[in-house]
Amino acid sequence: MIDLKNINRRRFMGLAGMTAAASMVPWKVRQALAATPLPAVKEEDAIIGFGHVGPISDEGWTYSHHQGLEAVKAAFPKAKYLEVENIPFSADCTRIYRQMVSDGANMIFSTSNYGDLIYEVSDRATDVAWFECDGRRPADNLSGYYIQHWYPTYVVGIAAGLLSKTGKLGYVASFPVPSVFSGTNAFLMGARTVNPNATLQAVVINSWFDPQGAKQAGTALADNGCDFLFGIMDEAAYLQVAEERGIWAAMWNTDIRRYGPKAYVSSIVLDWKDYYVEQVKKRLAGEWTGGEETLLPMGKGIDRDAWGERVPADVAAKADAVRDKMLKEGWSPFVGEIKDAEGTVRVPAGHRMTEDELYNWDWSIEGVSGLKV
Amino acid sequence: MPASPSPRPIVALRGIGKVFPGVIANADVDFDLLPGEIHALLGENGAGKSTLMNVLTGIYRPDSGAILMDGKEVAFASPVEAIAAGIGMVHQHFKLVRAFTVAENVHLGWKETPRLASKSVLEARTRALSERYGLAVRPEARIDELSAGEQQRVEILRVLARQARVLILDEPTAVLTPAEARVLFKALRAFKDAGNSVIFISHKLDEVMEIADRVTVLRGGRKVLTETTENCTTTKLAQWMVGREMVLGGLREAIVPRSEAGRIVLALDHVSASDDRGRKGLIEVDLPVRAGEILGIAGVAGNGQRELSEVLTGIRRPDSGRILVEGVPLDDPSPDVFLELGVGHIPEDRIKSGIAPSLPISDNAVMRAYGEAPIAHGIFFSPKAADALAKQIADDAAVTIPSLRTPIRNLSGGNQQRLVARREMRIARLAIVAAYPSRGLDVGAISTLLHYLIDLRNQGVAVVLISEELSELFDVTDRIAVMFKGRVMGLYETKDADLERVGLLMGGQTQQTEAA
Amino acid sequence: MALHFVRSPVVSSARALTARVIGFVLALGLGALVLGIAGFDSLHLGRQIIVKSLGSQFGLEDLGLLYTPLLLTGLAVTVMARMGLWNIGADGQFYLGAFVTTAIGLFIKGPEPFMLVLMFFAGAAGGALWILVPTLAKAYAKVDEIITTLLLNFVALLLVYYVATGPWRDRVSGTTASTGRVPYKMPDFFGSLHWGFVIALAAPILFALALRYTKWGYEVRLSGANPDAAHYAGIPVRRRLITIMLLSGAIAGIAGMLEVAGTVHRLQGGISNNYGYLGVMVAVLARGSALGVIAGAFLMALILNAGIILQTQGLTTSAVLALTGLIMLFTAIADQFAHYRLVRPRAATA
Ligand SMILES: Nc1ncnc2c1ncn2[C@@H]1O[C@H](COP(=O)(O)OP(=O)(O)OP(=O)(O)O)[C@@H](O)[C@H]1O
Ligand SMILES: [Mg+2]
Repeated sequence: MIDLKNINRRRFMGLAGMTAAASMVPWKVRQALAATPLPAVKEEDAIIGFGHVGPISDEGWTYSHHQGLEAVKAAFPKAKYLEVENIPFSADCTRIYRQMVSDGANMIFSTSNYGDLIYEVSDRATDVAWFECDGRRPADNLSGYYIQHWYPTYVVGIAAGLLSKTGKLGYVASFPVPSVFSGTNAFLMGARTVNPNATLQAVVINSWFDPQGAKQAGTALADNGCDFLFGIMDEAAYLQVAEERGIWAAMWNTDIRRYGPKAYVSSIVLDWKDYYVEQVKKRLAGEWTGGEETLLPMGKGIDRDAWGERVPADVAAKADAVRDKMLKEGWSPFVGEIKDAEGTVRVPAGHRMTEDELYNWDWSIEGVSGLKV
Repeated sequence: MPASPSPRPIVALRGIGKVFPGVIANADVDFDLLPGEIHALLGENGAGKSTLMNVLTGIYRPDSGAILMDGKEVAFASPVEAIAAGIGMVHQHFKLVRAFTVAENVHLGWKETPRLASKSVLEARTRALSERYGLAVRPEARIDELSAGEQQRVEILRVLARQARVLILDEPTAVLTPAEARVLFKALRAFKDAGNSVIFISHKLDEVMEIADRVTVLRGGRKVLTETTENCTTTKLAQWMVGREMVLGGLREAIVPRSEAGRIVLALDHVSASDDRGRKGLIEVDLPVRAGEILGIAGVAGNGQRELSEVLTGIRRPDSGRILVEGVPLDDPSPDVFLELGVGHIPEDRIKSGIAPSLPISDNAVMRAYGEAPIAHGIFFSPKAADALAKQIADDAAVTIPSLRTPIRNLSGGNQQRLVARREMRIARLAIVAAYPSRGLDVGAISTLLHYLIDLRNQGVAVVLISEELSELFDVTDRIAVMFKGRVMGLYETKDADLERVGLLMGGQTQQTEAA
Repeated sequence: MALHFVRSPVVSSARALTARVIGFVLALGLGALVLGIAGFDSLHLGRQIIVKSLGSQFGLEDLGLLYTPLLLTGLAVTVMARMGLWNIGADGQFYLGAFVTTAIGLFIKGPEPFMLVLMFFAGAAGGALWILVPTLAKAYAKVDEIITTLLLNFVALLLVYYVATGPWRDRVSGTTASTGRVPYKMPDFFGSLHWGFVIALAAPILFALALRYTKWGYEVRLSGANPDAAHYAGIPVRRRLITIMLLSGAIAGIAGMLEVAGTVHRLQGGISNNYGYLGVMVAVLARGSALGVIAGAFLMALILNAGIILQTQGLTTSAVLALTGLIMLFTAIADQFAHYRLVRPRAATA
């Protein structure tokens, strides 16, 4: 089998004919710019920087990237590494990356999308290979990367539809950004395949890491009759709410079932190891060019977590059947006709949403409330 | 000199020297304080009296010399240590916390203050202390409600409560009414009779003759002599202080007689005003001030003099009535209007409103002239021109100044007062309101000041002189008004007035008012 | 009596400086010791901080970009301190300056130089507006300015957070908690260091000159040193108080304007980066002197920049915060200690 996860746009185009039968592939939203690769670097001379949005100890998003870094360290033990956590969305972010550059970094991974707080530096540090997770403005020396989380989310959504008695699903949202739109939409679409009357209520708390806010939002949703909580948080607060209230919850990032073993259904789990190792390898070899936007597929960077202890076997089986279909046949549930929350048809009948469209989803489907652009 | 061996001094200063940049404040001063004596310390303004006491109480470290207490050498590193050893000082400018009550001030920073004591406990303790030492205070009153005399009693009580054996008073009577001074003297005598000692700094020579057992005179930072009071006269004391024969008096002679009364330049017409606490400070006052006269305001301090001087200079707005300048009523009497008109004002409380203690001498000296050439050019301010004017004012006031950049609080109290007086006389084209201008001045300086006021009068300026010293008022004024409880009780031609009647009026005994 | 300390009320500047240096060195020493125990090479880290802050283009840029807002917020607090008042609200005024600047930048179109001038004055006006209520409350009702200015910080933060995550949220690049990019930019002159730095550096100098060489400055100094004496001297003290407070707010507002137009280019929830509160520290370090702000803000910028450098050297943010706090604490202690003298009473002779 070809190494699908590292396929780049040019190679991918060559394989286009195979896609119908192919399993999930890393999707190149944008192709690499026609730039000459950055020159090779000896491993012992290499300095690789990682900048995180949260603390490494968060057991969530940042922890998953830190695991990626650990894998890179194991693969290239002679290189030097810079790792900074808790980078705020402020000019301090620019300062930290500027500092990494002046520390001599050849390669910098920003594990969150700081946008022009990064570009302020990256545009001037053209001999550095830059990465922006969930970034949408690639440049000659900067690539974006993210995960096709909507597929495992859809799978967990099916389980939610089966487990929820009220048909009311709750979602603790960070910001009204595409990740949240595609997450809520995919989740509800999955649930509706088994419960057509299911609805989803979202609460935006304007943070990725705010246990107090997430707890309040989770409690409010439960009070509103939601008996299944989902969300996109870097910590476990609403899982604890679900555990206390005796309802279900699905999480993001990592396996954190120990915070609510009874409520835990699954999680959208991340794995950046292979992608990071591969990119570093290219950079060292002098083969790296920027300008890509890569989406890691289910099974190779993103997946559902092992099902929770109280999830009935038949529920798990039903959901996993769909997962298998996606993995084996490349099947996608995101096919028209899809209406938005106002009832307007946004995806015409028969149209299969492209990965680009899924990645940049910025409207809610019918049945989702509480999210506005 | 008594032949009998004198008892061992409580405090002995040996060869004390203290130098400030550009000034020798003390040089080689010896000083003995015997148990059971009141020892006066005399000297001209800037002679080094306050500095010497500050050295003794640990505020300053001496550059040379030694301090002995009961024969043992000591060095107090701070006033807290001095008071612990039994030496307490009440300063020229009180150091009470104005927003606190009397009881709180008495207990502040005192190791015997009970921890976690309630207000009532502190007040009861203060009341007990007050009775023990015969110093009447109101424990629950806030400091800013008190008269100067009351504040001083609180300061003294603070010191005595800490079991002081030595009490140092720096010009205690400058701000006291004669009645308050009598109360103070009584308390001092009682303190002394218990075997304690007092160092008493004053410029009032009569007082010194009355209260002190011995006198030490300083001049230019050096000790001139120590003498028992019996061997002194006020004339001798004055002579020792200045180092030459001093010609005082001649004031009456300096006043140029007038054939006719001057025009009325400044007048109050039925003016009433409130004091700081919102009570009636001035009540229906009619007061015409004429060009070329000195109008004395007699009265016990606190009977509306402060309000009168402030209304006359725009600092305080009247509640009702009119202020007329050259016969024209002012519709917006504010300080800058009076400045413009050429009305000077030597304020009653120099530290509170006459100067900014933390600012350089130069800035303080130009307070009345900073807005015009040569100091101001358009929006600009010329520090150089300010320095030049400050230098001139200091020279006129006979104050030697090490540097115009030093904060004015580093000047001796009397020298600050001299500068303020000169500054105000300089701008007095139309009138000057002088409230207790001789406070803190030495005898010579008082005489000089009064001569200047007479000069102004002779030039046609209207002079309002507020004073408690009847002799001073009778010496230099053309007319005298007497104030009592916010009212003008009577207005007399000085030559027709008699001392006794004025005295009675000051005490509130009404007589029929005579027209001026 | 043994050796003991004694407090003296006044401190010479040489003494204060010496105490500061000692405090600073002690804090560094203690920090180095702890880091050493934790397995870091403290000497190496120290060298890194110096070399990277002052010895590289990027380091100097970072330093300058931190220095710029600190100069202005430190000055804003100092300006009011000259009147004996505390502006604890420089953070809020900073936010408002940034807010108004962004509003103009996002919604008005015009040639860049014109827009920058407009934004500058609007930012100043925004900051001044934010201190208007505390000013009037102080001037006419003697309401304590410390509390009013402080409380308005929270209001400003909420306002900015609301627009940055709500109506003005960036819909283009999806940057979180942030408005769209302001298209007008202060020109750069040294890497990404913009001309705002020059403005910020000139401001304390101008203020110091104004205090010394204008009538207004004299009136402010006198009003600040003794308001009763100023009233007596015919100065409209209340009006001076109002202008000083508004000026202070305007200066903090300009800091916010420069941060948006020069450094961040967007309005964000955390754009103030606590510069307003740090300005209070700068003012304390500067001891009320406008020129002292230049030194105080530099030290503060160096400390913040050292924090960034240490983070890239593998220290966690909490460790960096602890170190920064340690330095501030020791400086504050040193300021107090400067008042004390060690005294050994001379042995009794006689
Ligand atoms: N802290 C200081 N710094 C500089 N000079 C000072 C300081 N304190 C006092 N001096 C100077 O020392 C001299 C003596 O001052 P001191 O206050 O002792 O005089 P004094 O005898 O108390 O005068 P007065 O009768 O006016 O109160 C003065 O010239 C004064 O300016
Ligand atoms: Mg004195």
